[in-house]
Amino acid sequence: MGRSYIVEDDVEGYLSKLCSQLAGPVTGLLIGQSTVQRDFVVMTTRTPQNDESADGGKSVDKEWVSEHARQVSRMLPGGLSVLGVFIISESDAKDTLTTLRQLVFSVENLISSERLWTPADDDVTDCVTLHVNPKTRKTVCRTFDVKDPKSVAKPADWKYQSGVCSSWATVSCCLSVDLMVPLPENMAFTRNMDDCLKEELKVWAQQIERGVCLIDGKKLPEDSELKAGQKKNVRQTISAQLLITPDVQTAADVVQRCGGCVSVRGAIHSRAFLHSNKPKAKLAEKLLKRDIVSTVATRVQMLLEEPQKQNEENKGRKQMASEQSCLPRRVFCPVKSTGPLSVCDYQFSDEGLSEMTDRFKEMLDMDAAEEDLDATCEIIAEVIESEATEEEEPAEENEMLDPWRNNYIGVAMATAVALLALAASIMYLSDV
Amino acid sequence: MVLADSESAVILRLRGPLDLKCQLDRIDEVPMQKAISRTFEALRLQVKSESCVLAVCNSPVLIWPNKSVFEEITPDAPFEDIFQFIQTDDQETSGKKSTKKKNRKGVSTSIINLSLMMEATKPGPASAPILTRTVQKSHLLCATLPMDCAVWSNGSDTIKDGCERLMKALTRQLFEMEKVTLQCMKGTTLRVPEPLHFLLPEPNGLVTVVFPRGEPDKELEAQRRELHGQFELPDNRPFFRRANAYHFPNEPYKDGYLRNPHTVLTHPTLDNGKVYLVQGIYSYHHYMQDRMDDNGWGCAYRSLQTICSWFQQQGYVERGVPSHKEIQQALVEVGDKQASFVGSRQWIGSIEVQAVLNHLLGVTSKIMFVSQGSELASKGRELANHFMTEGTPVMIGGGVLAHTILGVAWSETTGEIRYLILDPHYTGAEDLQVITEKGWCGWKGPDFWDQTAYYNLCLPQRPRVI
Repeated sequence: MGRSYIVEDDVEGYLSKLCSQLAGPVTGLLIGQSTVQRDFVVMTTRTPQNDESADGGKSVDKEWVSEHARQVSRMLPGGLSVLGVFIISESDAKDTLTTLRQLVFSVENLISSERLWTPADDDVTDCVTLHVNPKTRKTVCRTFDVKDPKSVAKPADWKYQSGVCSSWATVSCCLSVDLMVPLPENMAFTRNMDDCLKEELKVWAQQIERGVCLIDGKKLPEDSELKAGQKKNVRQTISAQLLITPDVQTAADVVQRCGGCVSVRGAIHSRAFLHSNKPKAKLAEKLLKRDIVSTVATRVQMLLEEPQKQNEENKGRKQMASEQSCLPRRVFCPVKSTGPLSVCDYQFSDEGLSEMTDRFKEMLDMDAAEEDLDATCEIIAEVIESEATEEEEPAEENEMLDPWRNNYIGVAMATAVALLALAASIMYLSDV
Repeated sequence: MVLADSESAVILRLRGPLDLKCQLDRIDEVPMQKAISRTFEALRLQVKSESCVLAVCNSPVLIWPNKSVFEEITPDAPFEDIFQFIQTDDQETSGKKSTKKKNRKGVSTSIINLSLMMEATKPGPASAPILTRTVQKSHLLCATLPMDCAVWSNGSDTIKDGCERLMKALTRQLFEMEKVTLQCMKGTTLRVPEPLHFLLPEPNGLVTVVFPRGEPDKELEAQRRELHGQFELPDNRPFFRRANAYHFPNEPYKDGYLRNPHTVLTHPTLDNGKVYLVQGIYSYHHYMQDRMDDNGWGCAYRSLQTICSWFQQQGYVERGVPSHKEIQQALVEVGDKQASFVGSRQWIGSIEVQAVLNHLLGVTSKIMFVSQGSELASKGRELANHFMTEGTPVMIGGGVLAHTILGVAWSETTGEIRYLILDPHYTGAEDLQVITEKGWCGWKGPDFWDQTAYYNLCLPQRPRVI
């Protein structure tokens, strides 16, 4: 018995539009929620143009598609994930199927390599592929089990429906994060810090997974059904709380030598979406906890991926004993006409909202205006140390940091610097 | 045992780990102490904060004691009401039965276990996290404090009051842990402070003391002396050794032996008579235990094992109960027996029991001899004195049998006497009901003894130590 995907109407319109604009095959991602009970596809986005590709984008580049998927995955709050890949091409069905299979496995491998949470037994491991023929508009939908390297394509249903997520529920919370990890005594500065921090994040992720989750103030039995989505078109928000206990340390030596330490302190806003078809408390808890772990891990990862900027500064000056960097803050953008759903992105202190809207367009093919963005859930923290170092000089962007972000940084830099200089002077001159 | 104020006494026990983490820039004594004190102060603030949560184990009841939020219950309800929410594995209805332990005076002690947790979520908006890197050769202190507070409550205490007392106990415990950590600090070696509970004689009741984990009992004598002074306890018997720690009603002994089966018996009432019993905890050792078939020859060995178990559980020795082979080996070592004795099924008597107690446990014993069993009826005063001053179980051997005497009921005026006997000849399972109903642990009259045989009694002497 194959899977049955219920797909938001807008997706049909988007795919149609892509069919008529073509030159060469178009690939893209299918985004939604796949649970034991139901499968939903709520959004799609085409793979962005690769300006550096050898053949000008005529053939399908597996690495490019996967990298896009990895970046998009970071922009999806809990409950939404990349479920699969679509391709619009006139090619032979058999060839296309092989391509789709390769893409789906590659995408899943890359995305899961970054995951810090452990997969659950009841997770769906099927990924969906869609082949659309632009001339005939015929769509063929198949699934592959990505847990099985030898899996074969299984047919699946693809049904369009309107208002699929109009009564989906939103579970959210604001969570404190307080990690401290020692650095080994002898180390090459950046490399070892990355590994230590990632190890500590894994431990912290387990602590979160073990935490007691309260829904609307109560600890509910796992299989109890939440009263989500019972009224059509009514926005439902569920507040969640998380109670944790620390890991029990078993090291024999209570005091250890170290070469320093790294700490991550502050709070994050976490959000997850639940389908409206009698969702269980267990699902809400699982999706929220995964979002908590992902949002912290993603931001740390993003900060660590920006090393060149910091190191350039540090080489020229005396090594500071203690340095602080702000993790980027989470900004949400509603997905139009899908009810309560939103996607998110992370804003570094040197970026403006326009960079966010540009990225939403580039990554998710979403037209959003700055007014649409919700930046109220998180505040950028103030760096306590008096040197406002990283933000002052525009970094020499000769190195390729990240193909997507590079395009926007240069433009916004000047404005950002001016604004920050102003903010800094206000902070120091007034009584706070 | 201790009597609580009212019929039903409830122990509230709060346990949970707290992270003790701090970076030590300098490891000279004074800065290190200051850093540690600062970290403890931060922990005290943390447990006073609104994120502190008490979760009643096996129930949906949750309490935020510092912001008076009570989930599933109301603050003014008596603590006993919580029992109806607790689900235990073998009980579908109320949790009362399985968590109560009746002592013979009819006062039942129940326990409510709570877990200490911290709420990680809080109202928004969130201040996005800051990553701080400090590159500096230093030390990191990283340990988990095993918080464990217990307070008595009588049944009518409200939930709110009970929680307040628990939180006060928690803060007090953090202060004590800080003190113990700083006292036991040697350079960069730190011992994790560990709370232990002790049930002291009235009026003290249940008392919690923090000891450095891993420090052996013999290094802690000074601390114990101070505690004996503080609680006005006699200084010739231990109350605060690790083995003396209180066993909570819901924590069964994992070794499977029965403890103090005599406590469920009704003691005889004699005219002008008094009951004199063994003081403290012993385990019942008898035939066929430990997969050792000693039916017919091992009775004295088992009595000796019961006596050894008493010395271990009162904290006088750390050594476990010896096996038959170890007992035989000890007798060979002191020269009492030939090497071929080990592995044999030869009987032993009071003299051998005395020798083994001395060699393995360092305990001296007095031997009492009666030339015929009928004389035992006149030994009331000696036995009463023994139980009053030493309080140890007595091994008696004679005729062809050995038994353990756990107490006497004796009237000074009429001379009437009864003996509380623990019989090592029992071959069945550890079934308290069978053992007490069939008299394997029970009161016997003077006719229990073979009136013409001679008997030797081994009366172990309690070491005068704390």
